[in-house]
Amino acid sequence: LERAVSRQHTNLMQVVYGKSTSASTPVSQTQENSEGEESEGDDFFTPKQEGKMKSREGPDDGDLDAEDSSKFTKYGTIKSWKEGEVIESIRDRFVTGDWSKAASRNQ
Amino acid sequence: MGKTTYKRVKGSQNLRQRLLLSTLASTAVIVEDIRSDHTWPGLRPHEVSLLRLLEKVCDDCVVEINETGTKLKYKPGIIMGGKHLVHDCGVSRSIGYFLEPLIVLGLFAKKPFSIRLKGITNDSKDPCVDTFRSTTLPLLKRFGVPAEGLQLKIESRGVPPHGGGEIVLSVPSVQSLAAVTWIDEGMVKRIRGVTFSTRVSAQFENTMIHAARGIFNRLLPDVHIFTDHRAGPHAGKSPGYGISLVAETTSGCCISCDTTISYGLKEGNEIEGEEKKELTPPEDVGEQTASVLLSEIEQGGVVDSTHQGLLFLLCALCPQDVSKVRVGKLSPYGIETLRNIRDFLGVKFVIKPDPSTETVILKCVGCGMKNLSRKVS
Repeated sequence: LERAVSRQHTNLMQVVYGKSTSASTPVSQTQENSEGEESEGDDFFTPKQEGKMKSREGPDDGDLDAEDSSKFTKYGTIKSWKEGEVIESIRDRFVTGDWSKAASRNQ
Repeated sequence: MGKTTYKRVKGSQNLRQRLLLSTLASTAVIVEDIRSDHTWPGLRPHEVSLLRLLEKVCDDCVVEINETGTKLKYKPGIIMGGKHLVHDCGVSRSIGYFLEPLIVLGLFAKKPFSIRLKGITNDSKDPCVDTFRSTTLPLLKRFGVPAEGLQLKIESRGVPPHGGGEIVLSVPSVQSLAAVTWIDEGMVKRIRGVTFSTRVSAQFENTMIHAARGIFNRLLPDVHIFTDHRAGPHAGKSPGYGISLVAETTSGCCISCDTTISYGLKEGNEIEGEEKKELTPPEDVGEQTASVLLSEIEQGGVVDSTHQGLLFLLCALCPQDVSKVRVGKLSPYGIETLRNIRDFLGVKFVIKPDPSTETVILKCVGCGMKNLSRKVS
């Protein structure tokens, strides 16, 4: 999933938590399981597909074994920050820019 | 013991976060289908190492792994903490991988917590130890974590593939966190950073700094990047170099990014010995990292994309007060974190885009996490 997620009109709540707003369909249902190993046997006979199907109702059901890393690296193409115009576009995010404009951001 | 109710999850994704949340919420968890379709099924060495680390830090926790390592049963215990712990993180993932869950765990330990971690200090997959020092620890202070007792010392560095680095992390234990209203990202007033080099010429660092400054200088005069050249036993076992940058804003936010260049880790069964890939020259490293930092600054938000997960987690672990934060575009890891928080802590965020600045505002009521085992002095 790309980070284009935050386009104005998409409902971010839905993107993150899935379609059902009822909040009562957690992905992983808690199940009673007495310490024993009997569930092991049951799992052995469940067809594999089934497990895959109910994995997650979210729209961007990723790889179950996706890499566990918080570091964000998918920047796509990075702008060439050497060009004057590109630099001016974030000038106001710096103290060298227009303070009133920056202040209005945080209203 | 009576019956234990297990929460069931699938796959190795977000294993760290699930184990962390499971421990904090005292919910036993079963993780199934861990790479069951892979040619190399089951848990990876770093994941096993993480479980061993949890066993070290916690009393009375139970870990069961099946024969192939595709199924894991974890029953959390009490987070004890304590001083002078030692853990070898191995070389399949860097220390950053272990630090991320560990710093949160440490906050809710019974005793103040300090641990020596050995392994890889800098790599490109996880935030490096410099970024932890410059950005992650200040982020904790925002949530009311006292500054004394909170520190990270880099004793020696180590990069992939052979590591050899060592750090000491201390985390104070807290009664509870403090909710934040943190939506003012401010303006960037200065840029700091540190470069490092192990087993290569110190000149690499000057080249990186020069290139990075070249990008920043048109925006800001206050740029200062330190060097940290390591030699001898403090340089670990592999050659490498890298840079970690942080932009500090007028409202005290830290936006960071880092890169490490080294002969990477060998993945699984990949054949060794093929001609080693050319490494990115230091000049490009400096320029690229500086550009990435500017992209992060452009995003807006009070933290960078990498720290979104931690930010949400801390908000959710607050007492039952409203926290409100602003971030740039949601990162995939941030989204996963939000889902895990809902599953384990039952905290749901209200997420609203702010069209005028293209940022996102998140609000939540904390789960009321309290450190019950900590002694009141």
